[in-house]
Amino acid sequence: MLKQIIPFFLFTLLTACELIDYHPYDGRLHTKERDINAKNIRIIEANTQNSDTIRFAFIGDTQRNYDETVDFVKHINQNDSIDFILHGGDIADFGMKKEYEWTIDILGKLKAPYVALIGNHDIIGNGDQVYKALFGNENFSFITNDIKFVCLNTNAIEYDYSHPVPDFEFIKNEFQDSTRFKRTIVVMHAPPGNEQFNNNVKDVFQLYIKQFPSLIFCLHAHNHNLSVNDLFNDGILYFGCSNIAKRNYMLFTITPDNYTYEVIDF
Amino acid sequence: MKLSTFKILLLLFLFSHTAKAQEENDRYSKRVQKYSSNWQKIIPRYAKIQFAGSMGMLSIGPGWNYGNNHWETDMLLGLVPRNADRHAMATFTLKQNYIPWNIPIGEHFSFEPLSCGLYFNTLFDRDFWVREPSRYPDGYYGFSTRIRSHVFMGERFTINLPHNRSWHKSITFFYELSTCDLYLISAFGNSYLKPKDYLSLSFGIKLQIL
Repeated sequence: MLKQIIPFFLFTLLTACELIDYHPYDGRLHTKERDINAKNIRIIEANTQNSDTIRFAFIGDTQRNYDETVDFVKHINQNDSIDFILHGGDIADFGMKKEYEWTIDILGKLKAPYVALIGNHDIIGNGDQVYKALFGNENFSFITNDIKFVCLNTNAIEYDYSHPVPDFEFIKNEFQDSTRFKRTIVVMHAPPGNEQFNNNVKDVFQLYIKQFPSLIFCLHAHNHNLSVNDLFNDGILYFGCSNIAKRNYMLFTITPDNYTYEVIDF
Repeated sequence: MKLSTFKILLLLFLFSHTAKAQEENDRYSKRVQKYSSNWQKIIPRYAKIQFAGSMGMLSIGPGWNYGNNHWETDMLLGLVPRNADRHAMATFTLKQNYIPWNIPIGEHFSFEPLSCGLYFNTLFDRDFWVREPSRYPDGYYGFSTRIRSHVFMGERFTINLPHNRSWHKSITFFYELSTCDLYLISAFGNSYLKPKDYLSLSFGIKLQIL
């Protein structure tokens, strides 16, 4: 009798603890996950340091589309050839910590490692602090074999110019180790020209990121639509992915001297 | 004769004067009575302390019951504690309760199988807005980060306290399950989210004074 009651009692207590919520914006995390990007970058860099060809999926704007995100994870887990998954931002829709926790529970089931950028919806309320706790710095980079991925926070209007977005100091520091890589891909949530971007510096931004060794292309999310644009008419393509609700993602394959991409429905 | 006339006049004068004073005194005391009885009507009738419920870790404040004790209105001041990522925040909650049934259990106890209602919570923090700041294009996000609307359902148990030995008339213990607008919008259309994801459990005590 007691043997049955104790587990039941414990289960009830645990469920009750999970239900205790001080405030949607209290920043008190239930999950033990921290520094997700840094942890996964270590795996990505270790796995790809000798790969000639790398393949990654690019998704974005999973905000409030949990069912579709679950389906995406199931779908992509069947593909063993993927090195990593890049999330272009907007993990949350209202910047609430619960949204982050729901999403990282889902993305935690990915077989391949993933990294996530910060989107404008992720910053609302105290969302930027939750992002920092769970994922780490808003600007980060990693190197796969000979390609550097520079991931930038470009959601300027969220900060009222009180915060450097895009952070040119960060970009400058990313030039420092340019002997370690030969090619570059720049990833961001909102593309130049978008209402989120600090458009006063968009030309300067483009000039600056072109200083990276062989900038191959740029990636962005935010617009909820697939797009390929030569935004500055200088031959640098900006690829935009759909939001996850449209049930498709981009799959990039980068070979030593070229690249291809596909749009895959799931 | 002359003296007595004077005395009568004096008495009359004094009498009329005191009568007038009496009348004035009556008007005043009536007014005072009315004034204090009006204010007395809005004296808080109880104090409530509530733990959690998506409106702060601990909320505390006065309230009023009316309508045969089927209705209660609370005004609660709450505190969201500081943690590694964020400073502490104060909140204010306006809460409306409806308690359709009261089942007495003996002389000293009673049970209320349902209490339900809604509450509105606001954060006292500059990082949160009621209306979007002007830097955004019109209707960019279309919601307020500062004000949340909640619905709740719960149960209550009351102990009537003996007057000669206690500070309060009665003490009520309650629990509630609640959810807020943004949790509901998230749950809508996502079978992935289960009640444990979007429901919030809270506990509280009501100390009835009047």
